Amino acid sequence: MSMDDSELSSLIREHGTRHTAPDALRAGLHTQVALAEAGRATPPAKEARRWWQGPWGMGAGFATGLLCMALLQPLLHSLVTPNAQPSDWRTGIEDELIVKHVRALGPGPLTEVVSSDRHTVKPWFQGRIDFAPPVFDLAADGFPLLGGRVEPLRGRSMAVLAYKRRLHVIELFVRPSSELGAGPAPIAAASAPLRSQRQGFNVMHWDDGAMQYWLVSDLERSEAEAFVQLWQARVAMQ
Amino acid sequence: MNSRQRFEQHVLPHLDAAYNLARWLLRDAQSAEDAVQEAAMRALRYIDALRDGNARPWLLGIVRNTCFTMLEHQRGGPQLVEFDDESFATALETAQSPAVDDPAALLQRQRQRLQVDAAIRALSPLLREVIVLREFEELDYAEIAKIVAVPVGTVMSRLARARDKLRAALAPFHSGN
Repeated sequence: MSMDDSELSSLIREHGTRHTAPDALRAGLHTQVALAEAGRATPPAKEARRWWQGPWGMGAGFATGLLCMALLQPLLHSLVTPNAQPSDWRTGIEDELIVKHVRALGPGPLTEVVSSDRHTVKPWFQGRIDFAPPVFDLAADGFPLLGGRVEPLRGRSMAVLAYKRRLHVIELFVRPSSELGAGPAPIAAASAPLRSQRQGFNVMHWDDGAMQYWLVSDLERSEAEAFVQLWQARVAMQ
Repeated sequence: MNSRQRFEQHVLPHLDAAYNLARWLLRDAQSAEDAVQEAAMRALRYIDALRDGNARPWLLGIVRNTCFTMLEHQRGGPQLVEFDDESFATALETAQSPAVDDPAALLQRQRQRLQVDAAIRALSPLLREVIVLREFEELDYAEIAKIVAVPVGTVMSRLARARDKLRAALAPFHSGN
């Protein structure tokens, strides 16, 4: 007596192992996709090559030259003209923050002080930077603290706090707000963070009068906003 | 929608299916993770080529090809044996070894799982993949044909051969039911 196809099918389906993807693989892919996307600032070389190698190669090459000149001109101008206007040091900083964030997630280090205890992380910044960033324990709210580090950016030292949300990492870059200097008026009131989405990362910037913050994460926007609200509530309670 | 969003929407939901196929083809957890990771990066690169919404056979096709490339590197050629009696026998010995304190029913289930798994593992990769896609992923013949890149008739004949092998291997244990 032998099994027919449907008996065999149910035997396999009932008793065979259907493997499920491990969480680590899922998390790794998530990070890799974010890294791949952030790394793709320039289009792939293959496509760029194709059109100027076509039958109209020479003319197109010449046109490219002209186009490059046109594109480079403002850059050259800004290089040659010494400090035409003292601009806000934070202008366009989002892209650099994302680069820092991507590097921290990739080669690292993400944290120089590794601790989920704010009483370990907060004192660690003493002597390393000239301000004391607030550090909160948000584990009960689903954002466990991973640690912190100091990150140089545009000639300034930033305090960076890393938090986790499930498989996502949130980085909070912190500077005191007192250094606005020649820059324009404070960018935003504490209650209204400036949001932007670049290269698949959410960047949120706000300033509460004592500190200014940039949150960078691949977390979806509503959750990133929840983090900001939580943070602002904690600051207010201090 | 950018390619990352497309990837997250179309590809990530099929990660379990991708991993299951790779795990069965490569018979090793670490290699399966590597294969899925590589296949996923390839999928991300070519996500724009995915015209219709059906990403599952598309992704599984990439996973499948990645696995076979890895298998060829491992052995220097496809396996000619359709059913490896030796590996099946070895796996069964493990299955028979008594675990002392287990309740009988649980033990029975565990044995059955080991027997079924061992029988599928003993199939050659070409037969194993059609069984995995048909029985675990419940894909139809046309989808399997697309993934494996062979005509539907070939899928059906491979399935029939694979089932014969499994039937022969599992019959002695199944007769008790």
